[in-house]
Amino acid sequence: MRRLGDLEAEIMDRLWTWNRPATVREVVDDINKIRPVAYTTVMTVTNILYTKGWLLRGKQGRAWLYSPVRSREAYAAALMEDGLGASKDRPAALVHFVENMSEEEVAALRKALRNVGRQANA
Amino acid sequence: MNVAAVLVVYTTVVGFAAPRLILRARWPHRAPALAAAVWQALAVSFSIGIALFAHHLAMPTEHLHAGLVGLLHSCGFDVEVGRPDPGLTDPLAVGVPAAVAIALAASFTFQVMRARRARAAHREALDLVGRHSARLSATVLPYDLPAAYCLPGRRPRVVVSDAAVRALTPEQLGAVLEHEQAHIAGRHHLVLASVEAFHSVFRRLPLARHAREQTALLLEMIADDRALRHHSDEVLATAMYEMAAARPPAGALAAGGHTVLIRLQRVLGPREAPHPALWSSVAAVAVAVPLLPLLVACPPGLG
Repeated sequence: MRRLGDLEAEIMDRLWTWNRPATVREVVDDINKIRPVAYTTVMTVTNILYTKGWLLRGKQGRAWLYSPVRSREAYAAALMEDGLGASKDRPAALVHFVENMSEEEVAALRKALRNVGRQANA
Repeated sequence: MNVAAVLVVYTTVVGFAAPRLILRARWPHRAPALAAAVWQALAVSFSIGIALFAHHLAMPTEHLHAGLVGLLHSCGFDVEVGRPDPGLTDPLAVGVPAAVAIALAASFTFQVMRARRARAAHREALDLVGRHSARLSATVLPYDLPAAYCLPGRRPRVVVSDAAVRALTPEQLGAVLEHEQAHIAGRHHLVLASVEAFHSVFRRLPLARHAREQTALLLEMIADDRALRHHSDEVLATAMYEMAAARPPAGALAAGGHTVLIRLQRVLGPREAPHPALWSSVAAVAVAVPLLPLLVACPPGLG
């Protein structure tokens, strides 16, 4: 059983890849190449994405055209900055690999690594 | 001897002197898990000490043992012997220690819930934007700098940037991913939440400040050690350097960058576990320290 979130991801994935406004019908037809999915289901989930603020829509004739509010890269950058603690209100429990460092600290790191390399080669 | 005075001395030692002692010692970085446990034990010990001190201030004339039993009883421990007459118990004597316990518990719950909410929102967006890689067991995000972090909790995610996947060798990437997996498997976010909670209640206390800073660093070291089980020192160190060097220089507000340097020197240097005798005596202290204030307030055999 697929979760709602999976279908949300499939819809967003297509709209980001196509990089142009699209109708629900186009999305349904494309997903149907891989697996059967009902038009009404996709329409409902697309509407959820619209109300959550992920999609913009405009009317063309009788059909709604949907497009992502921001690019995938823009969302990814915001998520990364949040995850790495660049945003002000860092939730306490996002543990990340390395913090931002000053140039002097990076230089000190490089020196420490180089020393070891020399010892290994000697 | 006045028990309240002894408790003041004890909590002062734990709250002010003990952190300096640990900061100066060399074993914490060699046994990071033990050191993290010692910080937790000190925080618990300090809290109990403060609660008992408040209790004794509020009812100085009450017989010690009855007071302690009364305190235990009021905290929900069913102590059968010597239950004090409820009419004698001063509400302050119970109220102040209870307030300390409630403040700590509420702060911990708040920290955990706040982080959980933030993670849930983050994860939902992550699942839409990122691509899950079954090979890496991680979510890959399009991002120009090599970076990695994890979302701990019940539905955890390890996140890496596609730049990290490109820039690091498979070995290095494996070490980074294993480091993040160690945070998740070890439930490090709960340990962080507890020192965060302790710090928000006892904000100006050196023990609280150092416990929070040191625990964060020690948890990174624990995760480093886990990654080193299957990867060489140099692979992990190079991965650390690659990721640190590619990041933009820190602004004035970003602090603690030097911890990467400490970690890197530790990974590259000789890492000897402390002598078993030292290890077990520190472990014994960690177990005994939370009980000490109780012994001070109620010497066994004198009740």
